[in-house]
Amino acid sequence: MEDFNWIFQFLGRFHPLLVHFPIGLLVVALFLELLTLGGKRPGLREGIHWMVYLGAGFAVLSAVLGWLLRTQDDYSGELVDNHQYVGVATAVFAFITAILLQRTLNGKLPDSRTYRSGLIITVLLLAVAGHLGASLTHGEDYLSSALPFNNSAYDHSKGIALLAELKNTDSISDAQQDELNLEVRAIFAHNCYQCHSENKQKGELVLENKEGVFKGGESGVVIVAGKPAESELYKRISLSPNDDDVMPKKGKVLKDTEIALVKLWIKNGAHWSDQALKVFPEAELALVKPELPESGNELHPVDRLMDAYFRNHGLDWPQVVDDRIFIRRAYLDIVGLLPTPEKITEFQKDTNPNKREALINTLLGDTHNYTQHWLSFWNDLLRNDYSGTGFITGGRKQITDWLYTSLEANKPYDVLVKELVNPTDVSEGFIKGIEWRGVVNASQRTEMQAAQNIGQSLLGVNVKCASCHNSFVSNLTLEQSYDFASIFADSVLELNRCDKPLGKMAKVNFLYPELGDVEAASVKERLSKLSEVMVKPENGRLYRTITNRFWQRLMGRGIIEPVDEMDNEPWNGDLLDWLAADFIDAGYDLKQLIKRIMTSKTYQLPTAHYGKQSEMKSNYVFEGPILRRLSAEQFSDAVSQVISPVYSAVAYNPNGEELSAKRIWHPEMKFDRNVLPEPGKRYFRKTFTLPNRIIESAQVLISVDHSYVLYVNGENVSKGSDWKKVDKPEVSQFLKTGRNTIAIEGENEGSMANPAGILFSMEIRYDTGERIRVDSDESWKSLADAPTGRWTSIEFNDTSWREVRNYGTSNWGELVDFSFEGQNGEFARASLVQQHPFMKALGRPSRENVTTSRDDQATLLQALELTNGEFFNHVLEEGAGLWLERYGDDSEAIITELYRKSLGREPTADERGILLAVLGDEPKREAVQDIFWSTLLLPEFQFIN
Amino acid sequence: MDTQNTRRDFIKKMTAASLAASATSIPMASFLSSCSTSVPKIPSTADTVILLWMAGGMAHTETFDPKAYVPYEKGVESKRVLSTFPKIPTAVDGLEFSKGLESIGSVMDKGAIIRSYKSADLGHILHTRHQYHWHTCYEPPQSVQAPHIGAWIAKELGPANPVIPPFIAMGQRFTVGEAEELKAFHSAGFLGTEYGPFLIPDPSGGLESVRPPQGMSIKRFEARYKLYKELAHTSKHMESGSDYQRKSLMRSMEQSYRLLNSPEAKVFDLSEEPKEVYDTYNTGRFGLGCLLAKRLAMNGGRFISVSTEYEPFLGWDTHENGHTRAEKMKEMIDRPIAQLIKDLDESGHLDRTLIVLASEFSRDAIMEGRPGEQVKDQVDQPDIIEDEKFYGMHRHFTDGSSILLWGGGIEKGLVYGKTADERPCSSIENPVVIDQVHQSIYHAMGIHPETQYTIEGRPFYTTPDGHGKPILDLFGNPLKKDTKKSSGFT
Repeated sequence: MEDFNWIFQFLGRFHPLLVHFPIGLLVVALFLELLTLGGKRPGLREGIHWMVYLGAGFAVLSAVLGWLLRTQDDYSGELVDNHQYVGVATAVFAFITAILLQRTLNGKLPDSRTYRSGLIITVLLLAVAGHLGASLTHGEDYLSSALPFNNSAYDHSKGIALLAELKNTDSISDAQQDELNLEVRAIFAHNCYQCHSENKQKGELVLENKEGVFKGGESGVVIVAGKPAESELYKRISLSPNDDDVMPKKGKVLKDTEIALVKLWIKNGAHWSDQALKVFPEAELALVKPELPESGNELHPVDRLMDAYFRNHGLDWPQVVDDRIFIRRAYLDIVGLLPTPEKITEFQKDTNPNKREALINTLLGDTHNYTQHWLSFWNDLLRNDYSGTGFITGGRKQITDWLYTSLEANKPYDVLVKELVNPTDVSEGFIKGIEWRGVVNASQRTEMQAAQNIGQSLLGVNVKCASCHNSFVSNLTLEQSYDFASIFADSVLELNRCDKPLGKMAKVNFLYPELGDVEAASVKERLSKLSEVMVKPENGRLYRTITNRFWQRLMGRGIIEPVDEMDNEPWNGDLLDWLAADFIDAGYDLKQLIKRIMTSKTYQLPTAHYGKQSEMKSNYVFEGPILRRLSAEQFSDAVSQVISPVYSAVAYNPNGEELSAKRIWHPEMKFDRNVLPEPGKRYFRKTFTLPNRIIESAQVLISVDHSYVLYVNGENVSKGSDWKKVDKPEVSQFLKTGRNTIAIEGENEGSMANPAGILFSMEIRYDTGERIRVDSDESWKSLADAPTGRWTSIEFNDTSWREVRNYGTSNWGELVDFSFEGQNGEFARASLVQQHPFMKALGRPSRENVTTSRDDQATLLQALELTNGEFFNHVLEEGAGLWLERYGDDSEAIITELYRKSLGREPTADERGILLAVLGDEPKREAVQDIFWSTLLLPEFQFIN
Repeated sequence: MDTQNTRRDFIKKMTAASLAASATSIPMASFLSSCSTSVPKIPSTADTVILLWMAGGMAHTETFDPKAYVPYEKGVESKRVLSTFPKIPTAVDGLEFSKGLESIGSVMDKGAIIRSYKSADLGHILHTRHQYHWHTCYEPPQSVQAPHIGAWIAKELGPANPVIPPFIAMGQRFTVGEAEELKAFHSAGFLGTEYGPFLIPDPSGGLESVRPPQGMSIKRFEARYKLYKELAHTSKHMESGSDYQRKSLMRSMEQSYRLLNSPEAKVFDLSEEPKEVYDTYNTGRFGLGCLLAKRLAMNGGRFISVSTEYEPFLGWDTHENGHTRAEKMKEMIDRPIAQLIKDLDESGHLDRTLIVLASEFSRDAIMEGRPGEQVKDQVDQPDIIEDEKFYGMHRHFTDGSSILLWGGGIEKGLVYGKTADERPCSSIENPVVIDQVHQSIYHAMGIHPETQYTIEGRPFYTTPDGHGKPILDLFGNPLKKDTKKSSGFT
């Protein structure tokens, strides 16, 4: 069979010729048919019939040949598919039309309407098939490219202007040579890179760089300077579109002006400019602080800019939100907490006309809560977390201490950036990255991570793509990325493309060399130079990026989105540049930036209504802030505030008091390895000696996972079954001079091995002021099986008992309440807590990578966690107990307080009725728990309105 | 058994409302510019995947690819020890397993074995790093978070039964050593938490995860939800802002309520199994995981993994006493896996359920890593074994291991690839890498090999650069057959 394939191939190639027959015949047939409407011009009839029969015949034949062409010659792609489908449909309809005509003539059909409809459909299909076919031959933009308003492709107008300019001159200046070369390279970029790039070297030809262009491809040199006619590249692009050798392939042809420019460039010596080609739009580096527009009523700079914006978009200023909504927003945005009902009332009653600004000032002045709220934003941005990959082998370092104190001190942003880029011990975790043991991909070496993270977090530019190959989404090249990464490298880096070494060494250069030189002998010196270069006010990019992030944070959507792609078009460039320039003028003060935005009327507008999510993405028009979901941390802290503490232990304790007590348990072994403890009871003892003095007090702190009974010198002192609650019995009456014994019966629950541990501390104070501490540590002893005899007594012989094991803190964190200082009433702020399944479900990211926008959509896993998650339900159950203690059986009070505390308002009569029906006169713990749940999951609670 | 409905019956039983609730997909984070290129649909041979994960590095020479047996005697040379168990026959002629795997051997006529899997060369050997690579097909670290294969399948195909989460991971706890590294790949990565794993560390408590909170009666659970809806409708205080945001919240609540309140949640209840069946499977949490996997597969599970559990130096991670510990591990897996295959086969579900058994790499008595690569030995192995605790496979070997497959279109009785009979027992025929394994699973599930999403401007494919190819021979290679038939036309 194979021998006859040429026949099919040969026949197939008649398709382009043959298709013109049905086109001509059927279109004319329809035209003539229209002329005969109403029984006129009967003389045409006979001719029409022949045309329809012949047209249908040729249509079917064309379809068959088309199919041969497709299968025998290598055609593929969506366009070909579509052409084929419509072509076949045309043939089928033409055939049906012919039959309908036959039947009409035979009198089997009542009138000619069916046949005529068939003919119309056939011709319509023909037009579509014809257009698709033409697109295949001449390129998809063949028609549209001739339209004056077509700008779907790239901006070629400069090229056309240049062509016109150069046509009329004989001599060409150096500047023009550069310009010409850049135009030609833009033409290559948009038409040729797809196949002829470093990544995809078809015919071994690379048109992406100078070396490639002048080296040529597998068939030799493609450019002969000065001689277009001898240049293979020019020859191929100027061939007829139907020629097999024409370039570019795939139904795309260059525009005449493009071909002319290439010709002109070769003719003029094929000069190569040193300037970098900017194929993708790139934001100006420098900021220009725009003049504030004159505006009648608006005084705030943001509002003056927005007034002009609203006028341009034909929008009116909506009314600002009421005090209640404002205070909730302001609290959640600055300190991440809910305002108490008292604060709300006080604020509502305040008659000071500047009370909103005053509130913002007060909240910004609440350094403690400001820091604990904004910490989460910076942790996300700087990929800082308390747990995660890398820590296990020391391949990662926290910057929490530095970050926390920096926020506390409201360090100016330029200083912050300098300390991140040119770090000391405490802030080096950011550029240190995450190092895994073993061999990693070249694009993930820690130097490259530093370049990527600085790019993404601080500069809003994607270095990730370009660290593997020249970027497809920006102008960044592989070389630029390596040059940037080299700043952080001890040794010279070799360029790797897609993890393959290229034999080319990187230099040392910042992404934006125009800002200054960073070359130096040592890494330390380079970092110092880089940090100075980066924070220059001329680096508008740095300040635009942070300004835009803050705007997004406070308003729900950035002025540029995505916030990591700062080369994208802003919806209000003047606003962004003004704010960024103002931020510089105001001394890089982050709190001032928050204040600038929040004091504007713009911030105080009602949340905008968008019907679809897509309206927020493209063609976005600002009409007000976007409704935001409470973050994982905000939700958790709000529940802690209103109901009962959600977390009681932190991973980072800003008060920094180091604990000497260790969490201990019986050492559990399997195959000589330490393993998680099995469920069941274990027995612990600690014997110590006390001097003969008068004890003033002996305070115990104890927290046991899962439950315990505590004995002091044989006396049962306390018991508990919630490690999150620190029990604090006073035991001085049980202590004596000389030997004393603490004995604890601990029990691990559950169906399988899981973490368990005793955390114990006792502080004995003497009237002399002396203090003695007894802490749980490795000096304690334990036993797995129930001991015989009075094992809690001092006299008991425990020499055969094992030494306990320290189980560390990672499973529990640091209990906020485990302190002798007495109850401070504080709950653990969620921002300080180690990543936890509940937080994770609510959208707190695992900070393995920089995360600049959180998934704020409700998901099923999240709803499940909130609906049946043991953790959340336990918190609500605890809370119900607390509330019942506080309000007794006063159902009215419970309902009112719940609404005031959670939603900041009184319940309506309807709501009160619904809730009263659930609580009844004698509210049960379960009922209280259920009204908590129902209220906390209301959209009104979950969203920042 | 009355719970053994076919999936078709099951879907029929689903109320229209719950189908509607699940059909509304939930959008991702607003600006993750993600769009799958329009890759054509391809036909599938399976609806469900069960991954049986041999965590910690299972020695192929001690399990499914035995070599010459050298019994223990004091003074035996380490380098002579290739296998510490005798060989046994299986249901497939010429295919031999290691002693202790008789039950799995008896069902090999229903499945296939790949004997030539080569793990990646990641330098210093770290279990969790190789596990990350096996489960995501990407080497850590990555510049964006790579999704687990289960998350890809959940994203592309969604749940097979609206009330059963499409990605369920059983057996692994996250309170053990290297927990953070384990969490890093038990993740949907950039696909979004919606597609993340539904974790069930203890299969015997699986029911807890899908029923109303402990101590809450169905009646109270229903009343609570009714109260919530009533309050939400009464509230007049949320009039600004966009509807879709509120709706998305209410919808997710509705979905979760339906799932937790659905009678189908009983699928997770192992106490419904007859005692004999329960006992057959019950070799511990892994065995019960197989039992729950069976129930899920029969009722519309999508991707289910059951792990022997990774805990450093435990399970298959034998750094000493390799022989005795391998024996124990085989006891743990042999009976339940074989029973799982048999039960699914008898009920007819095996045809559309792909079962994969794999491990991150293999082990060897002498060689750490692979031939030709210098990596640090992590275990001291004496040249002459004077103590039985040194008898076994204690070093990490990355150049050859076994993968078992059953059902879901897999050719029955196939033996693909082989390893050398003498040390190093490397893959010497048809070497297989992880990209091919993933693509073969996607192939069975009808997911196009070039499926990808754009994240941070980067197209992220199911396998790196979309280059992986399925091993069509596993499916009886229809292409090869076709080529023969139609050779005249090409």
